[in-house]
Amino acid sequence: MIDQVKRVVIVGGGSAGWLTAGIIAAEHAAASDQGLEVILVEAPDIKPIGVGEGTWPSMRATLERMGISETEFIGQCDVSFKQGSRFNGWIRGGDAPADHYYHPFTLPTGYPEVNLAVPWQQVRDQVSYAEAVCPQVAVCNGNLAPKTISTPEYAFALNYGYHLNAGKFADFLRRHCTQTLGVTHIKAHVSGVRSADNGDISALLIDQGEPIVGDLFVDCTGLAARLLGEHYGIGYVSKRGVLFNDTALAVQVDYPQPDAPIVSHTLSTAQRAGWVWDIGLPTRRGVGYVYSSAHSTDESAEAAVRAYLAPTIGKDAERVELRKLSFNPGHRREFWHRNCVAVGLSAGFLEPLEATALVLVELSATMIAEQLPSNRQVMDVVAGRFNRRFLYHWERIIDFLKLHYVLSERRDSDYWRDNLDASSVPDTLAEQLLLWRHDYPWRQDTVHAEEMFPSASFAYVLYGMGFSTAPFPHRRRRDQKACARAGELFRQTRADAQKLSGCLPSNRALLKKINAYGLQTI
Amino acid sequence: MTSHQLLNNIDHKELRVITKRAAEYGDQVMFSPTFPDEFRSVQAHYPIFFYKDNATGQFQAAAMFGFSTGENLFLSDRGWDATYIPLGIVRQPFLIGFQEFQEDGVSKTQRVIHLDMDSPRISKTEGESLFLEYGGNSPYLEQVASALELMHQGFERAPTFIAALLEHELLESFSLDIELNDGSNHQLQGFYTINEDTLAKLGGDQLAALNEAGWLQPIYMAIASQSHIRDLIERKNLQMARET
Repeated sequence: MIDQVKRVVIVGGGSAGWLTAGIIAAEHAAASDQGLEVILVEAPDIKPIGVGEGTWPSMRATLERMGISETEFIGQCDVSFKQGSRFNGWIRGGDAPADHYYHPFTLPTGYPEVNLAVPWQQVRDQVSYAEAVCPQVAVCNGNLAPKTISTPEYAFALNYGYHLNAGKFADFLRRHCTQTLGVTHIKAHVSGVRSADNGDISALLIDQGEPIVGDLFVDCTGLAARLLGEHYGIGYVSKRGVLFNDTALAVQVDYPQPDAPIVSHTLSTAQRAGWVWDIGLPTRRGVGYVYSSAHSTDESAEAAVRAYLAPTIGKDAERVELRKLSFNPGHRREFWHRNCVAVGLSAGFLEPLEATALVLVELSATMIAEQLPSNRQVMDVVAGRFNRRFLYHWERIIDFLKLHYVLSERRDSDYWRDNLDASSVPDTLAEQLLLWRHDYPWRQDTVHAEEMFPSASFAYVLYGMGFSTAPFPHRRRRDQKACARAGELFRQTRADAQKLSGCLPSNRALLKKINAYGLQTI
Repeated sequence: MTSHQLLNNIDHKELRVITKRAAEYGDQVMFSPTFPDEFRSVQAHYPIFFYKDNATGQFQAAAMFGFSTGENLFLSDRGWDATYIPLGIVRQPFLIGFQEFQEDGVSKTQRVIHLDMDSPRISKTEGESLFLEYGGNSPYLEQVASALELMHQGFERAPTFIAALLEHELLESFSLDIELNDGSNHQLQGFYTINEDTLAKLGGDQLAALNEAGWLQPIYMAIASQSHIRDLIERKNLQMARET
């Protein structure tokens, strides 16, 4: 008799837990009699940590697969559109307005047939890389939306993800999961784990009621990692030696007027010991300083946040209450052990520089849903694949985040100087950088079919930060092709930027209209 | 900016309205909004497409007169070449307005006729009178009033019709590729039609519900109207032949 997987139990009800429940339930028809049984158990009094207020564009497909109406999602989760990130003060530091660059979500014009990074080298003194190759920069500068009221749900004029209220998002997902997708919701404290003879988890003991038996257990208990960490003792790989930031001071601030513009990208402003995020929701801004506790005291970090806020909120900057979060940057040694898999903060946590928390949840839950083992015998095979893939993803994210630091010319504090220390740079990143000094990031840099970062992302950061790639010693066909089409594609980018700037509504105007009329599904 | 005034027989006693059909009076338009109750009359002459209103993203039905902005292939020196002109055109320069009033202490709204004073149709010397010598409505104004009333009722019901189409996934976007006699190619984008495949697969209960709501007839009227695309292309060919 083979032990079939008939019941998946998810522990924890933050955005990770409910996203995982929804993705698995939708794929495995949990709402039908023949479907998989999906249970989510959540302690009634634990507040979700509420980080992860920025998503990648992948969230659109994730929500659509779960059968969620984008109009309802936007109306109920304080959503605004995110079209990328703008990095301020990362190149040389100081307040010079020129010290900024964009990492937009829209791929460069001509990508992936033509690599415009090659001909851009000729004009790099006149126009920034992102502006030359992507019309989204102009749209971000104007605080405009990535679509119009006539654009159907999830479709776009320019690629976008979301800024959202994480607490409301979890509530919204819970309603959808329980009312539409057939997820069973149990409110109880998990007080212990009952083990099977083979070491699997056979059931969760709860404070009130029968133990919850299951075939696969998903640990979405946040930093506590109740199952994978506490129960199984799976070790944690700290990356503090690579990514120094381990503390955050977060605050929510009101707009000066209710109809103030909503910025359509995440602002990331470099500081002496970290950087400040600034995320615009329709109702408020979420701001936070994420820094290295080894390089800054809490007091000077607090002073930095208040100084950052002062120009936009005036005297209130002295009064707002800051919330402190501490974390150990890194991830578990493995993520799927026996019949238990960790998704979300229980799997690991890194600073939100490229908003990778929620996308990792989406990717993890999607892989679990798509490769859900039909029985216990094959589960270890899937677990092995899962562990290899996600170790790879974590390493690529760590490399990509570190890339932002090693490219900086800032030397104004130990923090920036220490970031250049060779011992803090992963070998994989050092190798990549060496290659990129002699050739442009291109398709060869994406090794796997499901790579998280396309070569376009590397190019946006590298050339945004002023990186130089030496010209190739001889003329290659692909470079020739790129140079031949450069004039036309640069013109097209400029024309698109102008046209879109003329016809797209402001971020706030579109959100108002969506709440009044809704987006069409076609 | 258009200036709309509440129509009354004192301020507007002397006004006349030019009912001639010509470009200078604002008739040079690609389409006119229409509504399901008008489909039967419209489909005898014009293709009926659906489009999204720019301001709200909501679907509207349209009687098509041309293939590009500002093109009306029914309009010529001799006027409008069709025996039926959609009410959305005929009602110009009048529109429906709402007025609040008190009745037995309860505030109510009533429909009133507004006049677009900036319309080139408004004249003091030429066209149809609005009022009779001693203040009563002219037959022309009576006709306009009943057209406005019909439109009001029709547009008020239209969103339910659209909702039914969306619910049954009966709308689909399409792009029309046209090759004219001179070999030039044109494309019409941003419009929607009835998805006939989905319609053909609807079950008896769904069809009965649509029929009961009164939507089955306009759905088939919209489908039948597609035959006028050919006619519109011919008009375009003729116009280009005349111009060369």
